[in-house]
Amino acid sequence: MTADKDPEKNELSHLKRYADIAGKRVLEIGCGDGRLTWRYARSARWVAGIDLERDDLRVASIERPSDLEGLVSFAQANSIRMPFRNDAFDMAILAWSF
Amino acid sequence: MVHALREICRVLIQSGTLIDLRPIAGSWAVEVVSARDRKHAGEVTDLPQGLADDEAANLAMAQAARDGLLAREREEIFPFCYYWDSPGDMRQYVEEEWSDFIRIEEAVWNNVRSIWAVANADARVRIQLNMLITRWSKLQ
Repeated sequence: MTADKDPEKNELSHLKRYADIAGKRVLEIGCGDGRLTWRYARSARWVAGIDLERDDLRVASIERPSDLEGLVSFAQANSIRMPFRNDAFDMAILAWSF
Repeated sequence: MVHALREICRVLIQSGTLIDLRPIAGSWAVEVVSARDRKHAGEVTDLPQGLADDEAANLAMAQAARDGLLAREREEIFPFCYYWDSPGDMRQYVEEEWSDFIRIEEAVWNNVRSIWAVANADARVRIQLNMLITRWSKLQ
């Protein structure tokens, strides 16, 4: 069973007011199936999404819009040990993950 | 969770931004809505697990602030709605996805069904979550 989530786009409008994503290197922790990622990624420099759920990441990879190839990447990773170098990101989004 | 915040700070640049975006418990409203009308049917019941998760997250963020890792800059709560075409669809979703965190009492279910049964043809049912968004800045 699926639900129609936030058709009012309140989440995106608040995210844009709180985070100047334009040109930023963004880490999204808890990206899931990319529902939120697709909504902001076009304005970022690039986006890395991590999640523990392999099935969700598979959906995200399959549903990635063609114009976001090369701009958005996904990895199965735990937030306590991430496969990124120091200072790799300008911004991190904890997306429903606490 | 504090370990995760330390790891996030490691990969963030100095003065980098952390956005904490998550639903928080608090008797989310259950409603029947159409283009012309909105009727309140009741509230969900928060279960201990959901309340404990919120408390743990809040404690972790507060600890990170005390440790000098992060500074809170701005915070707000806003509505985030889930919609379904019928009470049955909503019930199935809630029982499959959220049963650890919330419960909807029979009286509320009955209320939803009663309101929906006589609502306009375009009526849908929804639960309005409370979303917390906080902007933090990395300090060290």
